[in-house]
Amino acid sequence: MKLKRLYDIIVDFKEYGALALYLVIGVLLLAHNDSKQIRAIRSATVGGIAFLQDAFGFIPDYFDLREQNRVLQELNLSLADEVSRLREARLENIRLRQMLKFKESSTFTYVPARVVGKQLYLLRNTITIDAGERAGVQENMPVVTDAGLVGKVVATSADYAIAQILLNRVLRVSARVQRSRVDGILVWQGGSSLSLNNVAKTLDVQRGDVVMTSEYSSLFPPGIRIGVVSGISVTPGSLFQNVEVTPGVDFPRLEEVFVALYEPDSSRVALEQTLERR
Amino acid sequence: MKRFSVYVLLSLFVVVFQALAAHFLVIIDIVPDIVLLWIVYVAIREGQLAASTAGFLLGLVIDLLSGQDGMLGLATLSKTVAGFVAGYFHNESKTVQTLGGSRFIIAVAIVSFVHNGLYFVIFLQGTDIGWWNILFRYGVPTTFYTSVVALLPMFVFARKYLT
Repeated sequence: MKLKRLYDIIVDFKEYGALALYLVIGVLLLAHNDSKQIRAIRSATVGGIAFLQDAFGFIPDYFDLREQNRVLQELNLSLADEVSRLREARLENIRLRQMLKFKESSTFTYVPARVVGKQLYLLRNTITIDAGERAGVQENMPVVTDAGLVGKVVATSADYAIAQILLNRVLRVSARVQRSRVDGILVWQGGSSLSLNNVAKTLDVQRGDVVMTSEYSSLFPPGIRIGVVSGISVTPGSLFQNVEVTPGVDFPRLEEVFVALYEPDSSRVALEQTLERR
Repeated sequence: MKRFSVYVLLSLFVVVFQALAAHFLVIIDIVPDIVLLWIVYVAIREGQLAASTAGFLLGLVIDLLSGQDGMLGLATLSKTVAGFVAGYFHNESKTVQTLGGSRFIIAVAIVSFVHNGLYFVIFLQGTDIGWWNILFRYGVPTTFYTSVVALLPMFVFARKYLT
């Protein structure tokens, strides 16, 4: 009789029971979401969905072809001009380096990849690219284009990877103003621009200044272009200025990227993560 | 069993469509939440328990697809709650009328608003990004856009079953 009553209660409140169970699982996932098993499941999911995205990826190209053509023609003209100027600069650079006996700065191997999917879903802001572990791509490797830093790889499968773009709540980049060597932390504040934080009011930052990754970054190699300063304001009473940075990369139109096969110093990353957890 | 299999297949289709839809449907950074639309549909047809379960499972798949941003479980939580809330619009004797009428749009709008509010509360934890700012910049437009997209199945239902 008691069992029957218990059964009736469970049946009567099954919706609430299920809700409670699902919420508990959800909270547990939020609390422990970096285990090896979850990574394996995620890798399989990434591979499966990315395959489908790749298969259907041809569809938007037709809608966008005319606009792409126009943009590429413009780009071609400006690049041709830039190439000739860069050639001159490189020759000059080689001469100067030889004079100063500088070593050639280290370069990385870049793996080209096509953007086969964009998850702009509720600000998760990631892209799926068609280069994965087989091409040497690993988690935390920087993703770039000729216009600058795109983001970092956060999940990989054999042939695909997911990269978190700069417009993402968790991505923080140690950055530097190229002209005045002012350092700050670049974060996303919502919208299409970034904010360079921790820049004191007295430091020299101007509109149009180029912002690049700095040596303080444990994830990204220094010297990668990020964007330009597009606005500066000061909040009364604050010690810092609000520096708005417009990324060089046109994220909505992103189609081709390169993954820099750069592995950050693992001992440094581990040490910094240990400190962060404290 | 057949009905269950159809739901599973359609759910998979919806998730894949959401993953692919970004290319076609983005308007100023805003994407309609097709998965949420599907959950509301399931809720109206099958009730609260089915919708909560669908929300839980679909949210989990979305989380797995969203990269490692420390937010695995976010969509799981918010979609489960969305499914539960949507379940309140279930009325066994008026399923077709609900799906083919303005009640469906109202359900989608309310569920989407609750979902987005909860989603951004958790999503913005530990950041300096303002909740109101993001809610009005993304949450409300997403709710609006999703509700507009919901007009399409509503008209289909109204035309097919109510005329």
